[in-house]
Amino acid sequence: MAGFLAVSLAACGSSNNGNNGGDAAASPSASASTPASASASAPASSSAASGEKVTITFQNIYPDPTDPKYNMLHKIVKQYETDHPNVHIELDSLNTDQQKQKLKTQAASNEVPDITIVNPSAQMKPYVDAGLFAPLNEMVEKNGLKDSFQSGILDYYTFDGNLYALPDGNNIALLYYNKALFKQAGIDAPPTTFEDLVADVKKLKEKGIQPMAIGEKDTWTGSFLFMNVLLRTNGGPGFLQDIVDGKKTFEDPAFTSAVDAFEQLVQAGAFQEGATSFDYNAGENLFKTGKAAMYFMGSWATGGIEVSDANKDGNVGVFKFPTVGGKGDPNQFMLAPGSAFAVSKNSKHLPETLDFLNYFMLNYPKEAFAVKGAVGVAQKVDGDFKAAGYSDMAMEVLAMFKDVKGGDISFDNTMNPATSQAHLSSIQNLFVSKKDAAAVAKEHQQAYEDNKE
Amino acid sequence: MNVLKVSRWTIAAFVLPCLLLYVGLVFAPIIVSFYNATLNWNGIGVAKHVGLDNFRRMFTNDSVFWPSVRRTFMLAGFSMLVQLPLALFVAILISRFVRKPNFLVSSYFMPVILSVAVIGQLWKTIYNPASQGGMINQILIKLGLGSWTHAWLSEPKVAIYAIIVIGLWQYLGYHILIQFTGIQNIPADIYEAAKIDGAEGFKADRYITLPMIVPIFKISVVLSFIGSLQSFDLIMVTTAGGPAHATDVLASHMYNISILSQKYGYGSAIACFLVVVCLAATVVINLLFNRIEKRYN
Repeated sequence: MAGFLAVSLAACGSSNNGNNGGDAAASPSASASTPASASASAPASSSAASGEKVTITFQNIYPDPTDPKYNMLHKIVKQYETDHPNVHIELDSLNTDQQKQKLKTQAASNEVPDITIVNPSAQMKPYVDAGLFAPLNEMVEKNGLKDSFQSGILDYYTFDGNLYALPDGNNIALLYYNKALFKQAGIDAPPTTFEDLVADVKKLKEKGIQPMAIGEKDTWTGSFLFMNVLLRTNGGPGFLQDIVDGKKTFEDPAFTSAVDAFEQLVQAGAFQEGATSFDYNAGENLFKTGKAAMYFMGSWATGGIEVSDANKDGNVGVFKFPTVGGKGDPNQFMLAPGSAFAVSKNSKHLPETLDFLNYFMLNYPKEAFAVKGAVGVAQKVDGDFKAAGYSDMAMEVLAMFKDVKGGDISFDNTMNPATSQAHLSSIQNLFVSKKDAAAVAKEHQQAYEDNKE
Repeated sequence: MNVLKVSRWTIAAFVLPCLLLYVGLVFAPIIVSFYNATLNWNGIGVAKHVGLDNFRRMFTNDSVFWPSVRRTFMLAGFSMLVQLPLALFVAILISRFVRKPNFLVSSYFMPVILSVAVIGQLWKTIYNPASQGGMINQILIKLGLGSWTHAWLSEPKVAIYAIIVIGLWQYLGYHILIQFTGIQNIPADIYEAAKIDGAEGFKADRYITLPMIVPIFKISVVLSFIGSLQSFDLIMVTTAGGPAHATDVLASHMYNISILSQKYGYGSAIACFLVVVCLAATVVINLLFNRIEKRYN
């Protein structure tokens, strides 16, 4: 369908012999058709007979050879292929956004690759509802795979008692800070209340230091931060669930005071000028290059920040998101259960695919630990991190994981896509104009009711 | 056809492959889009027929739709009223005063061959706030015009104009090339005859160049209009429609709705609107130019 839209757009131009702007719009259609056919061309019978050649298509989001995960993936796949000479794993490696689009296009024509990537909860629900994925209940019991996962994490991928995907990560949101810049502004310790945070922002600003960095062109970044404020003002997790259950509306004081607090931060000049045109990488780079004092992000950023300029001589520290107006528990975090591997129900080689995924996930934590990518893995990792050369900052983050007493997952993992989009752009608007909290709440409530199923 | 001395079947056989491709890749998707526009469908699960609900909602109850239509036409308007006359003016100057014009024309054409992603990144740096090293803002401050500085791409009121400027800059060379070629193709003897009759310089332009360039100018107008209606990539690279829809145009709104909000039916309705506007615009422009051309023939 995305293809159709794009083509009709392009068609509009070509029927008038030329277009200036249609190229990007047409590209999803160009990339949409290939991968599923690879598995379709293999023999149709799905017998597990050992001699038969089997090709499994593995769509993944690790296309970057400099990313440790890329090497990990290739290593495990190669090992499996050596052990099972009749099985060939065909990798379809894409960027996160490309993969999301491609899967949507493939799903529309019912051609899901054998293994693909989905996001937890609300984001994968449409696929599950459409019956595209095979349940993994039996497979996960084999070889003790289920017990390798942290407790509770699989709930985000379970619908009506059936598990449909296995996550590659489990992250929490926290604040990174630049110790040298804090010192320069005369701040001794990271803030423990939101009020202190705002005060510190002002102190940094006075010294001409950029207080916080954010990549708000990718709207989820601001939403992630806002939801952490809401987690505090609500006095605990579950605000969005209460909305879905009809116990609360967005006009609840917890929500409006979260908007007020968030605006306070913006008005204090916390974020860099033009934040809404900075994409994720550009925003993060401000912090990594030591041009901003604080950075709010999921713990997945740890690896990149660890090796950045800002962290020379262990200059970067971390702290938990503070209480807001005396409310909330800093040990409750914004949780980010990672993207996850799901198996197509219509896979031509379902038993082989399940067997491979089982093998892959069993080896995943071990290999991740070896390439220093084990901070934020969804499975239990054995091994001495300190001895393996993980930095002090990484150790601090790992310690934080042990303090986690529950929390919320992001807005777009909880609400349907249309409501999420309305929320994301409403929060983005707070970065560029001062709005009445009641109006923001109303906007949310309206969007929620319009898109309720 | 008989002149060619081949049977109609042969002709059909040669035309057919291309025709099939064209119908399959152009007409069929458009028709499917019109059908999808009547569905309430997330692109994955079960679709529900809702008749013309999507269109009703689009026209009456979508706070982003009409502003994005307005911005789309703004792009087209600026392109036709500023870019094309400027391109024509430059083309005339080049053909009149420059002996070896190839180098100049190629230089103007340069931005067209750059990918939009590159251009977007380039201009984002130029537009950056002064604290991030933005060129324009720094120049303004150096000139003592500090009060004129803006966060060009992230202030809702200026952002769309900032993007329009990029578009104008990028495709100026394209239209200069088209119109320059058009001027070169006007026979020199006409100018010579006019010179004898006392029409020289800009007078000759007024009575010879302008009328004779009309058919070429029409191509420029159609291209720029359709191109503007479809502008999408530049906006995605620079602002992604933000902040808070302030730079959304029809194509980006359609993308957001169908891909991000997963409302494929509704997105198709917007796509249909875009198709209809494109067709209507082409017809209107053709009619208009037919009249103008008639006047001069």
